[in-house]
Amino acid sequence: MNSKALEDFRDSAALSLGVELELQLVSLRDFDLTRGATDLLDSLKYDGKYGEIKLEITESMIEVSTQPQTTVDGIAADLEGLRATLKSHCQSNNIGLCGGGTHPFHHWPERRICPGERFDSLYQRYGYLAKQFTVFGQHIHVGCTNADDAIWLTQALGVYVPAFVALSASSPFVDGVDSFFQSARLNAVSAFPLSGQCPPLNDWQAFTEHFAFLQACGIAQSIKDLYWDVRPKPEFGTVEIRVCDTPLDIAKASSLAALAQSLSRWLLRTRPALDTARQAHVARYNKFQACRYGLAAHISDPLALNQSNLRNTLVDLLETLRDDARELGCDHWLESLRQEIADNRSDAAWLRAGHAQHSNLNDVVRMTSERLLQASPMPSSKSS
Amino acid sequence: MPNSLLTTLRTLWESLLDRLFFLPPFPDSIDSLALFSLLLVLGLLIGEWLHKHAGWPKVIGYVIAGIVFGPSLLGWIDVEALAQARPIADAALGLLMLEVGRRLDLGWLRRNPQLLRSTLADIGLSFNLIFLFAYAVVGLSPAWAAATAAVTMASAPAVVLLTIEELKAQGQVTERIILHTAISSAASFIAFAIVLGIVHAEHSADWLNALAHPLWVAGGAFLLALACSGLALFISRSLPKRSLAQVFILIACAMLAVGIARMLAVPVFLTLFLTGVLLAARDHHQSLRYTELPEGHWLLAIVLFVIIGASLPWQEFGWLSGMQALGLLVVRAAAKIGALFWSGGSLAPDKRLLVGVGIQPLSATAVFMVYEIAALYPEVGRSALTLPLFAAALMELAGPALCRLALIRAGECANDGKTSGGIA
Repeated sequence: MNSKALEDFRDSAALSLGVELELQLVSLRDFDLTRGATDLLDSLKYDGKYGEIKLEITESMIEVSTQPQTTVDGIAADLEGLRATLKSHCQSNNIGLCGGGTHPFHHWPERRICPGERFDSLYQRYGYLAKQFTVFGQHIHVGCTNADDAIWLTQALGVYVPAFVALSASSPFVDGVDSFFQSARLNAVSAFPLSGQCPPLNDWQAFTEHFAFLQACGIAQSIKDLYWDVRPKPEFGTVEIRVCDTPLDIAKASSLAALAQSLSRWLLRTRPALDTARQAHVARYNKFQACRYGLAAHISDPLALNQSNLRNTLVDLLETLRDDARELGCDHWLESLRQEIADNRSDAAWLRAGHAQHSNLNDVVRMTSERLLQASPMPSSKSS
Repeated sequence: MPNSLLTTLRTLWESLLDRLFFLPPFPDSIDSLALFSLLLVLGLLIGEWLHKHAGWPKVIGYVIAGIVFGPSLLGWIDVEALAQARPIADAALGLLMLEVGRRLDLGWLRRNPQLLRSTLADIGLSFNLIFLFAYAVVGLSPAWAAATAAVTMASAPAVVLLTIEELKAQGQVTERIILHTAISSAASFIAFAIVLGIVHAEHSADWLNALAHPLWVAGGAFLLALACSGLALFISRSLPKRSLAQVFILIACAMLAVGIARMLAVPVFLTLFLTGVLLAARDHHQSLRYTELPEGHWLLAIVLFVIIGASLPWQEFGWLSGMQALGLLVVRAAAKIGALFWSGGSLAPDKRLLVGVGIQPLSATAVFMVYEIAALYPEVGRSALTLPLFAAALMELAGPALCRLALIRAGECANDGKTSGGIA
């Protein structure tokens, strides 16, 4: 096994942001997933102005990632630029582009692994899981000024994984049926042996020792093998939140980035006491609750020894974050999350409503694709 | 079937007729259903055997079955049996043409002008170069040279669709092969209607035929397609999307179009192609957009290609006509590959080349168009159209292999060759 040494943590600007979105490539004929990522990228003439557009594990996926930005407005502008670039290129290749955490009815054996040494190696190692990994997530990077802060923030954000899962949930359908989950995507991720939570670690030194231990045991080769819900990303100097489903539009993706940025600021500023060892006992249960029930989840608190309704917790959290969000200039992005919770709206509910209206999933994907391809109305900073 | 065996059997049967009064008279021809089954089994066995042992596309095996058992070689499928099986061939070709018509996405041309340019280059170059070859090199009259160009300029929708289905191919090369095939078929049908008028103008004493026949063919096919597609959409709107009931309605309306087209002497392939195009264009509520033909249409397709193989008059082909047909195919290949390669497009040059190779098949519709035109003036038509018929015959065997090669080289088939790690 070729192990790759852990890179030094590259310090980055405090609370800088980066967003990655995995998007679906669908056929315009029947809106099933189609194979086309390699051809799409080969013929793309794009100067990288808004960030990167790259391959993901299968030919039916494409990943976009923004430039590092200090503000959510900057992230939103990059995402809009990437969306418009891909929209135009996909249209000239007769391919549809779609958000959402899963494709509602694709048949996973039909997926093709993308060319490339890493993808080939993943297929060798994980077999059919690699093809079933054709699910679509949003990853949010938050910049940290030093490695120890990054490890602390990784632990602290772990408690809020259910919040990110519930707010982003957009994968209720799998294999052509309603899974009853709000986010079924994470079930595909949890099959991987190194998925789950970062273990309790105090600082960067502890993390490097833990990683060296994993390498010595032959479990992990590089940090990319750690499919943790929240993980440090030393080469970017960030902490990466990896549990969000890809939302149905760009505005929602920006709002989730705003939540990550303002929450990280509040955590780093107030430094609440962490008991990661106790949290580890309830983390899987809480994540399941959020995946299954979304905002209606009941979240266990291992310190207070009780359960609370996630919706109520989120209302309080978003109120708590108001000042930090204002300081960061992103409170107008959080407002749409507050409104969504108040109106009991979610991407998963929108998809189910589409299914109820049309009684078939092809039309649901058609609507979803049309929604992503329309420019999202961006919230005004004056409104908050 | 060997005649001696048949005679012995007939004698024995007739000797029993007096005593066994329940026996029917000795059957003079084979029952249609029995014929259908025999063609199916023969085609299937040879197609599967060649596919398994030589890696050839199954379609080639079906055609070879037709050639071997048809009038040209063993004669087990005779001319009467071929005429009897023609409705099955029409139904099979009709369904495949319907599917190609449904897949014709003109919106893609609007969104990608480079694609429009390469499509026009393919149509223009193919027709003109084949016409020039047939007129200047082979020495056909302008009317028959135009007829030759009209029937051979297009790619073969049936072969292309079946090859893509067989390989479960998906990707930009696949999509472009389908698009170019559908559009060149449409152009070929228009050229075919015009050529009918030209042939009448050259041979008929009554000028009315030169005007009325193309109008009858094009107008009749369009009106019939309009009516059948409208009926299918109207009924299917009240049925659940993708339901079995919708599949039945789709097939029933297609068969209705096939039947009426046969009654009115309107080309089946043109009618069904237009029905498919109109079904897709007028389906504003996505009523039938996602409804797919059942896998069973493969059964009809096997019979179609066995019949085509048996219909080809191999005994009429000589060395000279063989060389001329090869020449036509070289000119046609150069036109198609050149048009795709040089006219640009948003695809990498090597992939454009593969699209050019993938659209080489020339098949069922060309053979049927040749017979439609030749039937007008049998005394001159049959000999004048030996060239496109021979070219189609050669391409029946080479075309599926070329299409398969292009799709495999493009890396767009379902089997990605990565078997060591995965189960798929």
